[in-house]
Amino acid sequence: MILQINSARKDFGGVTAVNNVSFDVKQQEIVGIIGPNGAGKTTLFNLISGALPLSAGKIIFKGEDITNQKPDLICKKGVGRTFQEVKPFGNISVLENVQTGAYNRLSRRKEAREFAEHVLEKVRLIHRKDVTAKSLTIADKKRLEVARALATKPELLLLDEVMAGLNTSEIQEIIPLIRSLAEEGITLIVIEHIMEVIIQLSHRVIVIQHGEKIAEGTPTEVINNKRVIEAYLGEEITIA
Amino acid sequence: MRGLLSKKSIFLFILLIAAFALPNFLKNKFYMNIVIMVIFYAALSGSWNILAGYAGQLSLGHSIFFGLGAYTSTLLLVKMGVSPWLGIIAALIMSMAVGALIGYPAFRLKGPFFTLATLAFSEVIRYIASFWKELTNGAMGINIPFKPGLATMMFRTKEPYYFIALGMLLLIILITFFIDRSKMGSYFIAIRENEDAAEVLGIPITRYKMYSMLISSGLAALTGVFYAQYILFIEPEAVFNINFSSQIALMSIIGGMGTIFGPIVGAVLLVPLNEIMRSAFSSLNGLNFFIYGIVLIIVVSWMPNGILPTITNQVKKRGLKVSTDRKGAGKIDTAN
Repeated sequence: MILQINSARKDFGGVTAVNNVSFDVKQQEIVGIIGPNGAGKTTLFNLISGALPLSAGKIIFKGEDITNQKPDLICKKGVGRTFQEVKPFGNISVLENVQTGAYNRLSRRKEAREFAEHVLEKVRLIHRKDVTAKSLTIADKKRLEVARALATKPELLLLDEVMAGLNTSEIQEIIPLIRSLAEEGITLIVIEHIMEVIIQLSHRVIVIQHGEKIAEGTPTEVINNKRVIEAYLGEEITIA
Repeated sequence: MRGLLSKKSIFLFILLIAAFALPNFLKNKFYMNIVIMVIFYAALSGSWNILAGYAGQLSLGHSIFFGLGAYTSTLLLVKMGVSPWLGIIAALIMSMAVGALIGYPAFRLKGPFFTLATLAFSEVIRYIASFWKELTNGAMGINIPFKPGLATMMFRTKEPYYFIALGMLLLIILITFFIDRSKMGSYFIAIRENEDAAEVLGIPITRYKMYSMLISSGLAALTGVFYAQYILFIEPEAVFNINFSSQIALMSIIGGMGTIFGPIVGAVLLVPLNEIMRSAFSSLNGLNFFIYGIVLIIVVSWMPNGILPTITNQVKKRGLKVSTDRKGAGKIDTAN
């Protein structure tokens, strides 16, 4: 068990964005998280990565309590993440962006640079390495997010809608990349809106609605779950 | 790429030799003074550049650290006869301590709080220096009695000052160069560009902001010691002045924030311009500031990254025939 989330809760004033969510993630697993907009998926990532403090509950990573630790410490321990709204370091080159991530494990400039190039090759962004990050297309910015997080050498990687805004062929390129990461030993939690992608990728799917976990299981189990169909996939509308 | 790099280093080497040879050719005291002021401002703005240009912490009260350096070494010299060379150490400690004091609370907050804190502190310190008459002689300022000698860092001719200033500037360039090429520099830039993204890459942002503050305030103090020994007179209105702080910032902004040589380009352009304006329009008080302001507006609106990054991009575009607006500088609007 690489990650255990025990009754995580997050309140924003009177609104409970994440309510009593618990689940475990096994080593090298790909876990998909789905749910309607505003369900609390990204908030959950913010809790795991330390960007927001929990109101209640516990998060345990590799047997160690990481609840409410600072984001940089959590990253050092082996949790990487991407942002749904991409946050590139716009005025520096793509390579320098990734190199900054690589410094997490490698202090020497040359090593960090070589590893950054290696990561850029893996995500197929190496041909853009010398341009400024702000001049990338949105698809490439998403790749850069992944590359930068990968450069920190995470054991657990949280991918927040890395495929949103991409076209079908771009998506079909990125799916094998995510699979290859799992094969290399990285555990992945993937937030995605596109059902098709989640079903193709995930070993297990967790469904969140109104901050609560309403279902968990294999992709087939989840898409046939009645509550999920009602909450997310669309229920039959009956007018009284 | 390599060819371009070595061409650049040959150019810098020639520049360095020219800088060392300059006093042999330039005997005019007026021009020599301008050159020394250019070097002094380049060094001071260079210290600001580490904090604001690289780490993105826009200080608008950098005269605090400069002034504290000047006052610390001067008081030690005048009251206790301590050589300014030793005074440098005390000046460094004093400035860095105050820098840490400002940074400790302000670096935890996001947004413009740090900038506001530097402005507020610089006013507070100016008042303290003006009213604590027993220590600082108040608004009257301190005259440093002229006792020429190497130990007292006072000289009859301009040449020694020139070489001290040059050494100081080289030190600051060297430090900036090593920061620029190291993990620390990458982390500074990451913090400048996006704190949220920096954090999740394992960067302890508060600690790195503090590093940039300590380096920057220490180097500013160094220039303060030099200034006091060169001018031999310091007063609160001159050294803790907000206009002076913004001048320090402007040199780097115009030259190119977050680049090694940006502050030098800014100082080379602005200091002589200022001097020329002052002497040319001496009858029309304030016109020099007016023209200065216009130059600033033009540069900032045409080249938001500063002069140096704009030029290097042009050169690279021509040289490599690739359209990239590569590597650069913190824009003013992304500073916080």
